[in-house]
Amino acid sequence: MKAFFENVRRHFGLAAGIGFSLLAIQIIAIALAPYIAPYSPIDADPLSSLQPPSVAHWFGTDVSGMDILSRVIYATRINLLISVSSVIAAFIVGVPVGLLIGYYRNIFSNLIMRVFDFIQSFPVFVLGMALVSVLGQEVWNVAIVLGVLFIPMFARLIRAEVLSLRERPFISAARCSGASDLSIMFRHILPNALTPVIVQVSISIGMAILLTAGLSFIGAGVRMPTPEWGLMVGNGAQQMILGVWWVALFPGLAIVFSVLCFALLGDFAQAVTDPNAETIS
Amino acid sequence: MFGVMFATFFLIRLLPGDPALLLLGNMATPEAIVSLRERLGLNDSIWVQFVRYLDNVAHGDLGTSIFTSNPVLQDLLERAPATLELICWAMLATVIIGVAVAVTAVVRRGGAVDRASRIYGLAAGAIPDFWVALLLIYFLFYLLGVAPAPFGRIDALLPPPNRITGFYIIDSLLTGNWDAFISSAGRLVLPVLTLTIVNAGALMKLTRTVFGDVYRSDFIRHARASGLPESVIVRSALRNSLPPIITLVGFLFGFLLGAAVLVETLFAWGGLGQYAVQAVVNSDYPALQGFVLVAAAFILLVYMTVDILYEFADPRIKV
Amino acid sequence: MAPERSPLLEVEDLTIAFGDGAPVLDGLNFALNRNEIVGLVGETGAGKSILTRAIIDLLPKGGAITAGDIRVEGQSVGKLPEARKRALRGGEVALIGTNAKLLLDPVATVGSQVGRVLKAHRPASRTEIRSRVIDVFRQVGIVNPEARYEAFPHELSGGMAQRVVIAMALIAEPKLILADDATLGLDATIQAQVLDLLVSKGRELGLGVLLITHDLGIISHYCDRVGIIQGGRLIELKPVDQFLDKPETEYSRLLLDAAKVRPAPRDQSGDDAPAASIQPLLDVKELRKTFVVDGGQAVVRAVDGISFRLCKGETLALVGESGSGKTTAGQCLLKLLQADSGSVMFDGTEILGLREHEFRRMRRRLQVVFQEPYVALNPRWQVVDLISEPLALTGQRGGAERAAEVTRLIDLVHLPRRVAGLYPHQLTAGEQKRVGIARALATGPDFVVFDEPTTALDIRVRAQIIDLVRELQARMGLSALFITHDLNSVRSLAHNVAVMRHGKIVEHGETEQIFARPKEAYTRMLLAAELPIEANRSGKAPKTELEFVR
Repeated sequence: MKAFFENVRRHFGLAAGIGFSLLAIQIIAIALAPYIAPYSPIDADPLSSLQPPSVAHWFGTDVSGMDILSRVIYATRINLLISVSSVIAAFIVGVPVGLLIGYYRNIFSNLIMRVFDFIQSFPVFVLGMALVSVLGQEVWNVAIVLGVLFIPMFARLIRAEVLSLRERPFISAARCSGASDLSIMFRHILPNALTPVIVQVSISIGMAILLTAGLSFIGAGVRMPTPEWGLMVGNGAQQMILGVWWVALFPGLAIVFSVLCFALLGDFAQAVTDPNAETIS
Repeated sequence: MFGVMFATFFLIRLLPGDPALLLLGNMATPEAIVSLRERLGLNDSIWVQFVRYLDNVAHGDLGTSIFTSNPVLQDLLERAPATLELICWAMLATVIIGVAVAVTAVVRRGGAVDRASRIYGLAAGAIPDFWVALLLIYFLFYLLGVAPAPFGRIDALLPPPNRITGFYIIDSLLTGNWDAFISSAGRLVLPVLTLTIVNAGALMKLTRTVFGDVYRSDFIRHARASGLPESVIVRSALRNSLPPIITLVGFLFGFLLGAAVLVETLFAWGGLGQYAVQAVVNSDYPALQGFVLVAAAFILLVYMTVDILYEFADPRIKV
Repeated sequence: MAPERSPLLEVEDLTIAFGDGAPVLDGLNFALNRNEIVGLVGETGAGKSILTRAIIDLLPKGGAITAGDIRVEGQSVGKLPEARKRALRGGEVALIGTNAKLLLDPVATVGSQVGRVLKAHRPASRTEIRSRVIDVFRQVGIVNPEARYEAFPHELSGGMAQRVVIAMALIAEPKLILADDATLGLDATIQAQVLDLLVSKGRELGLGVLLITHDLGIISHYCDRVGIIQGGRLIELKPVDQFLDKPETEYSRLLLDAAKVRPAPRDQSGDDAPAASIQPLLDVKELRKTFVVDGGQAVVRAVDGISFRLCKGETLALVGESGSGKTTAGQCLLKLLQADSGSVMFDGTEILGLREHEFRRMRRRLQVVFQEPYVALNPRWQVVDLISEPLALTGQRGGAERAAEVTRLIDLVHLPRRVAGLYPHQLTAGEQKRVGIARALATGPDFVVFDEPTTALDIRVRAQIIDLVRELQARMGLSALFITHDLNSVRSLAHNVAVMRHGKIVEHGETEQIFARPKEAYTRMLLAAELPIEANRSGKAPKTELEFVR
């Protein structure tokens, strides 16, 4: 445990610092949105449509006169809710499934792999677009669809790890020492297999944010007036050509920083959990 | 492929609402709906319908688009070259830039390219492609005016070149149509740039890892100890890094198809992606179904090509 | 070979350090002449490999020559322009490294790789290069060189790959060859063939050869002079005969003692015990195991009907080269692999047919020490957890009781008690091996399989592990199966020896008898390939009779 903290300290550099700061900002935005947002995120004010950034509206207003700053802050809730919950769901389902189909190899596990092959043979974005439009363009439906799309990714990752780990001599050694299947799976294999998955969780959250935003951007995700970053960029797309830059710029920046945050945290997790890196002293 | 058809079929069966009602609109009389259901065979068992659907697909019948009233297959074929042209050029640029940057970063470790590539690799994965496109449009078209307007593949006043390959650039070259060539090449710049900026990052990161590992491996060290010139060493290391690069390129093709949906919409490209978005917005399910089917078929084709190339790239893999 | 003034290689006062750390090499001085073979000996981390990299001026990142000079034919290597350095590497000084398979480009044919080296030094036409490569392939004993030209490295055996690397070293006609543990990991017979080839080629062409190794047997058989490196210093350098007769330093004596074959120790109690027990503890009959390879294209009979018995207190050695099926046989006994057919009776119970949960109760009595110590330990577990895991089999539940047991085991294998809280990667290879032994002994087994207990260990560590095993044998009356290719260790540990080849036992008998009067040609060949340092030094000529046994 001490070694773990020592390791964390050693890898905690500028990048990780930025990552954690961005995470803190987002958590504050989620928790305190009603207190920091100057306006309501969904109240339209046609009289103050498309105003450039000013003291009253720091980030300006959009076509229907909604305050962009307030919407960007509130959208953190929606975007992170969708991405974090979908990734957690995919993790909870994907990891045990991957462990089982990696450890026991029979017709059943082959069948599951075929299903995964099949899901992954579609371009993620295209399939997500079709599924959400079928299920209905609701926040939870987007989360469910993304969750389902991410399950094969986690399951495969774990499975690949399990397949290589179960051939390692220390598994044979554990068996000789009397470890049962369950003990081998959960005490020996899982802790060793989890490392790349933890990293993947962080990266997947970023991917989920991008996918959610993309879906909403083309009008296949959540709908107005829900504050959502991709949707807001989409709203500003037409104005961009006319030189109205603020409508699309700020929510886009929010996406960039949010995804960057999880990418940095993923890199950090990678550095901390890499067993090869530990041996260098 | 069978699984894909199976899924797209049941996907559409899961739709809330009656297809007959959708086709006829809200003003339809109950009698009309009943007769249309009869004609569409919607009263038969779901398996009968599925078999019929398979039969239709086998004969190239993907149904009729509700929005354009054309056969879906015809719509798709008309639009496919636009998307393919976009994707192919973007892929080419991605591979060249991604690999070149990665190799330079590894060979000149700690140099300017190395440091810049680290920042780029991190940022490229975080930037949404549609937002990049908007920024490019704003800066290069609105502010600087160096790029053409984001309205289609070619200037609206110019007739498109005669169709040979369907790729405007190649067709206009073949027919010696210089105006069309310049216009279509210009129009390609922004969307290709968008896709390349976003995708080259991923390829660059992977290549840097893979090539970096190979470049530090025992056999490269031994090659250097044997006095081989650096150019031979880099080539041999790159050759060894090919298999994972090929895999990623295959994967990126699929990803590009998804990204094309967004980018085409922004640039009014008139390709498959834009068609799919229209289908979603207009609840045009036969069109959406057809697009998903074609996308999956395309990916399947790409993956098959990848498998074949993989065997060439790595003699350890048996055919 | 006209006489020239300066020696081929001069290393003068060489000091190399990484960053601000302590020097890896410290004030090295020696010279190497044409037509001379000098051996350098040192343990892992002594700085031997760094020396070879320094001679061709390709030190790993961060390393730098802080003092001294290296001269090849009087020319200071470090002062050469970059283009001349490249011409020197491979052109004048060729390097042969460990594990040839890793030294070859996996996606290029071996012929083209060797050709690349020639082309880099002596530009020539494509056909000239090809015929020259095939010529050199033939010289290094590659059978059917035209066909081998087109082979990829993964299609070659380890010994063949090493020959290709030697061909690569010879192709540009260098004057100096640096062989850095070139035969590590090869079977003894192959090692002998490769070294014979290298040395005879060196003598024939009048090259200087620097042979770096940690095997004193190789030194005594092939080298003219020997240098001992300890902690980055060259502590002794003299002709081999003088060194073997009276080593100067304490460290050299330690090395020499450790490398000597130890006298058989087992006459006190062991000899009559195996004979006395009528019922064998382990009775193996017609054990078979086949593997399907190449996607169903071919079948490998890894274990092809072997039978043997093992009595209480007896140690049997299963000896064979890689691919002989000895490890597979051991895994079948422990039911880590399911045997195809045959019978294994353990203390009167047939174990092959038992289901996993039935067999689990017997695991306590059959244990194994795995080959590679590091990979057989879960990297995320502390030593204390690793050692206490098998205690669950003995039914001990109390925490205090277990803790005491773990401490007892740590003491038993002579580990310091502080290792309990460490992770495997924080231990040395020898310590990892001891943890593996402690795990196997935790349940108080009747029978232990030792799979290659001494491979990949430095000479002194190897000697220590052998001493430990011998001590345990004497103290616990253990029955053991030794799976090994290291005949030296067998002689001092086993009562009986079974020699395996191609999945079959070709010879089986008492240890001394097999060593003294081997019946089978294959056994004789195995014995001949061993390079014990006491062996008759008059036969310094290459052992050519080994060339065509394969």
